[in-house]
Amino acid sequence: MTDDDARLAAFFAASEPPARDLAFSAEVMEAIARARFQWETARLGLFSLVGGLVLWAVWPSLAPALAQIGGGLAPAGAALVATAAVLLLADGRAMPILGLRS
Amino acid sequence: MNPAALDATLIRAAQGGSEEAFARLVDRHQQALRGFLRRACGNWALADDLAQEALLTAWSRIDRLDEDANVRAWFCGIGYNKCLTELRSGRRARRREADYQSSDQRSPGVAPEDRLALEQAMAALPLEQRAVVALCLAAEFSHADAADALGLPLGTVKSHVTRGRARLMEALGARDDGR
Repeated sequence: MTDDDARLAAFFAASEPPARDLAFSAEVMEAIARARFQWETARLGLFSLVGGLVLWAVWPSLAPALAQIGGGLAPAGAALVATAAVLLLADGRAMPILGLRS
Repeated sequence: MNPAALDATLIRAAQGGSEEAFARLVDRHQQALRGFLRRACGNWALADDLAQEALLTAWSRIDRLDEDANVRAWFCGIGYNKCLTELRSGRRARRREADYQSSDQRSPGVAPEDRLALEQAMAALPLEQRAVVALCLAAEFSHADAADALGLPLGTVKSHVTRGRARLMEALGARDDGR
């Protein structure tokens, strides 16, 4: 290696970043997490918008049908909710949440 | 496990959605990518911004990468495109200038005159040639890997290496002559 080669190598070596840079890697992963969150939020927003538009479009024909079957399903719905509540309480997982058991 | 096999394993895992695997790829190759961008754009803060953007793009395109691909070259290729776009657009130019002015602090192992002469010579090279020099002379990429990373024909890379090296040596020689 000539002297000029060594000087050139030293010049390049001076701009070499550290082999490990946890701060930089963490910043990159944070940026990725942010981008993923923004993407998920935008996706869910779009789904909600499309769902709302579809519901708005079909509501005139859906409303009478729902009103018709709603009356008949109400007792069954109430029974289902009551059963679910009993099962949760019996399982014990809901007790601490409700403050009934620590 | 050899580095290429480890990269292949990490690529597979990252393609399956593992952010941890991608984080390890970042950790393994950030030095090469940032070093390349520092030399290609001549500005460290801008280079780190571009490296981060390049890695974000890489994450979004990881499913397009072959398992046996050269990750380092792939990252540098994406970084080069970011650099091209950035330097052409001229955004953040003011900050870039400020960074050049503060660059005296950061080359402890190099004679200030050498640093100045080589920085000027690097800045005077066309961007494409500078990128080739940064990969082949500074980061020891093979000509084929550099051609692959930058999307250039192999012959162009070889000629850029020869001419770029000559220009840098000329800068050092001219400085010596002026002593």
